[in-house]
Amino acid sequence: MILTPEEVASDLRLEADVAIIGSGAGGGPLARELASEGHRVVVIEEGGYFTRRDFNLRPSEAYMRMYRDAGQTVTLGMPFILLPLGKTVGGTTTVNSGTALRMHRPVLKKWQLAHGLREITEGELDLIYAHLEEYLFVKRADPEVAGKVARTFLAGAERLGLSCGWLPRNAKECEGFGSCVFGCPSGSKQSVDVSFIPDAVAFGADIYTRCRAERILLREGRAVGVSASFLDPVSGRPNGRRLEVGAKVVVLSAGAVSSPFLLLRQGLANSSGQVGKNLQIHPAVQTVALFDEVLGPPRGIPQACYVDEFQGEGIMLEGGTVPPEVHALALPFAGRRHASLMEKYPNMGIFGGMVSESDSRGRVVDLRRAGGRPAMLYNLRGRDVEKAKAAVVLMAEIWFAAGARRVFTPIAGHYELCGPRDLRRLERSRVRASDFYGMSAYHPLGTCRMGGDPEWSVVRHTGETWDVENLFICDGSILPSSPGVNPQLTIMAMAMRIAGFVDEKLSA
Amino acid sequence: MRAFRETGFEELLTAFLGRSSILPPPDPGGQREFLEEYLRAGAPEFPFLYRACLLALRALSLIMKGRPFSRLEEREREDFLNRLLSSRNPLLRGTALLAGMPLYMSYYRRPEVSVPLGFDPQALRDEADLRVVTRDRSLPPREEGKP
Ligand SMILES: Cc1cc2nc3c(=O)[nH]c(=O)nc-3n(C[C@H](O)[C@H](O)[C@H](O)COP(=O)(O)OP(=O)(O)OC[C@H]3O[C@@H](n4cnc5c(N)ncnc54)[C@H](O)[C@@H]3O)c2cc1C
Repeated sequence: MILTPEEVASDLRLEADVAIIGSGAGGGPLARELASEGHRVVVIEEGGYFTRRDFNLRPSEAYMRMYRDAGQTVTLGMPFILLPLGKTVGGTTTVNSGTALRMHRPVLKKWQLAHGLREITEGELDLIYAHLEEYLFVKRADPEVAGKVARTFLAGAERLGLSCGWLPRNAKECEGFGSCVFGCPSGSKQSVDVSFIPDAVAFGADIYTRCRAERILLREGRAVGVSASFLDPVSGRPNGRRLEVGAKVVVLSAGAVSSPFLLLRQGLANSSGQVGKNLQIHPAVQTVALFDEVLGPPRGIPQACYVDEFQGEGIMLEGGTVPPEVHALALPFAGRRHASLMEKYPNMGIFGGMVSESDSRGRVVDLRRAGGRPAMLYNLRGRDVEKAKAAVVLMAEIWFAAGARRVFTPIAGHYELCGPRDLRRLERSRVRASDFYGMSAYHPLGTCRMGGDPEWSVVRHTGETWDVENLFICDGSILPSSPGVNPQLTIMAMAMRIAGFVDEKLSA
Repeated sequence: MRAFRETGFEELLTAFLGRSSILPPPDPGGQREFLEEYLRAGAPEFPFLYRACLLALRALSLIMKGRPFSRLEEREREDFLNRLLSSRNPLLRGTALLAGMPLYMSYYRRPEVSVPLGFDPQALRDEADLRVVTRDRSLPPREEGKP
């Protein structure tokens, strides 16, 4: 069952085989797998439960209802980077773009050699990926549905001879309502809320929504349960009722920001000193292009195509059209200038690029602020600044090749490019981290990393923490480094692996 | 929104949004309501930070223009904001960026603004209702209408 705080009249004390904190890309698949094996599964989710009927395609309402802190989460450092996090049943997958890529192959070699993860083999991952792709109806974006912005950008990339194509997506019969990151209104996107969670529930799992896990309960050094508070749906504050779940296994799947935060708060599983460290985020930049012809955004598939020519150098371009309300934030102008450009919104395209392999590392810390909230510290460093600039230059070149009249970049001093001359000027200029306007990132990873050495990692390849028996971690935080692409499919693949080890433990 | 009186808010809206020849003018009452809801829904420190940005704008106007923001001509206000937004100093730029962000959202979220730009959330919502996808069956033909 999926339960809301309104359905809980008093404090609750439950017994389960597994208590899972968080219902996103890590927690959802794990809940389904374990429930299907007949284990009693309880999932504790801080966010509310929404269905496609609740998704009204209005960005600000989606931010306020389904994103942590109304989508205002930012990293502290240079530059400030907007790092939105989902907070709803299905986790961030409910509000993500639906790109479903397998990890970049050379990264697995690195995990095996540099992180001691030889147990994770290419063959095993291939099988899991194939299973997930079938379960989630993954297929390439349909060019007919993708929309004119994507087709135009891709045509530009092809004209320049760049390696590019249509992205694989976990969407079934998508009709391009242009709203993936605000909740798919037709139910086409196979996010965890419409796939793994309903299946987990059908197998008997219980999902407690608007319920915030606060402590992992321990006995003799072992995890034995979770203590949580139900939240008021309006204020988001504890409503006075509590949930305590006694469990044989506890799995922390609260995402790469909340999972380390919970551990740091309790001083748990951190003999390596690595909890909260190694934060990678795939810093992203965007460019806007103005055309003579109407492109008709945001209708289509917002993130439909890619350019991976420079993936080996850590630069991936992936598209993303957005409604006017969000598009307006990408134009660094005010007043008449702003108004006259926004009037041309139908003639504009927007595209994004991310630093998919970066040297910069941040950390999640517990600032012991009132109410107990994590902070993310992150500075964009040397080569990553160059890569972000290179992504902007590449996008601008593609836009011009596609016939754009003007291109707007997020780099101070180069906001407006009117042609190749401006582009060359940008290429020659020295860009600093602080020059980026409104940078964002969508993939926090690595803050409880997995590895073969307890001195350098927080969890083993099985997902169990080195320090606390029966405490597993299963979310983006355990990836030892960026998978080189959007991470949801790899996080799910790790969850499928970890489910096997938890099942073994419970069945022993 | 103590940092700006009612009139100050209107001036701020116009300075950020400009006057469009095809889109409706700002709606200070409705946008202020949204702004308050948005600030309440966010991080606890966000309302404080936002007010700090508005105060900083006032202070910067005095320093850079020699006059309070509300006494600047309409075009001067726009130029002032554009100067901040294009500054290579991230604090100056960040102040204007943060102050403008919820104002833009509060304006373009209004259907009377987004529909003329080609984005009609209600129409898309209605269409999506006709094209509901389930995990275990194919779509009905278009003519069949609501499932
Ligand atoms: C706008 C956007 C677009 C994206 N697009 C893509 C894409 O196209 N492809 C892709 O691969 N990736 C994409 N991502 C990233 C991807 O969705 C995430 O990497 C992935 O969902 C992370 O999985 P997770 O399990 O680590 O965390 P999440 O999916 O975020 O799940 C964590 C859950 O834990 C809950 N939680 C946190 N703390 C607590 C607590 N104390 N108690 C109870 N519950 C708690 C949260 O509310 C949340 O629901 C996107 C992200 C964003 C923001």
